[in-house]
Amino acid sequence: MAMTSFLPLLGKELRTLFVQPIAYVLLAVFLLVMGYTFVTNLALTHSASLVRLMFQAAVLLLLFVPLITMRVLAEERRHGTLELLLATPVREFEIVLAKYVASMALVAAMLVPTLIYPAVLAWYGQPDWGPVYSGYLGLGLLASLLTAMGLAFSALTSNQVVAATLASGLGLLLWVVDALAAVLPAPWDELVVQCSLLAHFTPFATGAVYLSDGGFFFSSTLLGLFLAVRALARR
Amino acid sequence: MLDGVSFTLERGEVLGLLGPNGAGKSTCVRLLTGYLVPAAGRASICGFDVQDAGTLARRRLGFVPEDPRLYPYLTVDETLGFYARLKGLDRASAKSERDRVCARLSLDGVRRSPVGRLSRGFRQRVAIALGLLGDPPLLILDEPTNGLDPWQILDLRELIVELAATHALLLTSHVLAEIERVATRALILQNGRLLGSAHVDPAAPGALERQFLAMTAPLRS
Repeated sequence: MAMTSFLPLLGKELRTLFVQPIAYVLLAVFLLVMGYTFVTNLALTHSASLVRLMFQAAVLLLLFVPLITMRVLAEERRHGTLELLLATPVREFEIVLAKYVASMALVAAMLVPTLIYPAVLAWYGQPDWGPVYSGYLGLGLLASLLTAMGLAFSALTSNQVVAATLASGLGLLLWVVDALAAVLPAPWDELVVQCSLLAHFTPFATGAVYLSDGGFFFSSTLLGLFLAVRALARR
Repeated sequence: MLDGVSFTLERGEVLGLLGPNGAGKSTCVRLLTGYLVPAAGRASICGFDVQDAGTLARRRLGFVPEDPRLYPYLTVDETLGFYARLKGLDRASAKSERDRVCARLSLDGVRRSPVGRLSRGFRQRVAIALGLLGDPPLLILDEPTNGLDPWQILDLRELIVELAATHALLLTSHVLAEIERVATRALILQNGRLLGSAHVDPAAPGALERQFLAMTAPLRS
């Protein structure tokens, strides 16, 4: 099944994303908060570690990714551009995939400048590179899941604020849901922990890579993209 | 909702779809473009089912929506290039198609202008140009004269007559005289049902209106 429409769709999506000021505002605020956290963490701990920074970045992604994805499909629906787009020989999954890759490109644009922090640590100290590599891998996987989830909500509604609120609300809930495990009986406690983003992200941030955690993020991303395609096909 | 609407359209025909507001014209068009999924029944374009073989069917379709919503930040050239690529044209063919439709729709002077800065009439011409990209055998024009000035309407009429020889055209319009001037046949819809087919004779002005009124008047109340 050739994906002839994917590249033109991706080009248009990247253009759409980077033509709007919100991309630059998110980029600037993300880097400002990350820079502040890096400097204060370094000044307080004098430790060549980025573990705390990884958690900070994860929380920022929980808040910022829904702001990136909220408009991608909701806006097409609200502005009526979806009707003409779907009258061309494109398939729904090509549209969703192009929007997913474009949104991930913006997340990458947010994360790549933060590579300066491990470079600074390497210049002045001897950081443990394991948690740095796994931390960035974990951030990428977390962003992928959040992007897919955000796209699914954006496909369900024509209201961007509703899409962002639902996506960030669910993201935050899944981040802290493992706290509920303490009051639940077996096997529900384990089930709740298995749904927790924090529980699956923590090993990555601390330098431990488990296939099960990677599988959770990967399969959840596929589920989110599938739901987005189904929601788009539902019209 | 549509119920029991069935028709075929051959190359060389211009079929007008008529009906009062809410008759089901836009629903019919949306079923043909694949935007809406029918609860029952089927629609096909050049033998390809719109639902089961949607990409093959839509490759043979040019669609001009009633209120063309385009990406305002893309220039006319970028818009045409984007949709040409979506229709499966390679870069070289997309460029030659852009040149062809811009020349045909007199868009050369605005090719570098963002679509959002164009007047309603120019945006409508861009939408018509999008429909012509790739020279599809079926063209669906939903209220194509909306927003056009009298000279542009004359140009569009000429274009429809020119295309009619080699294409199948489906037109919807509220303006009976407009359909009468260019269509070879008209279907009259009301409340989602096909009331009948009307004969169109440009040499007998007003005849279509009489047929329309005769068919729809009993249901008007």
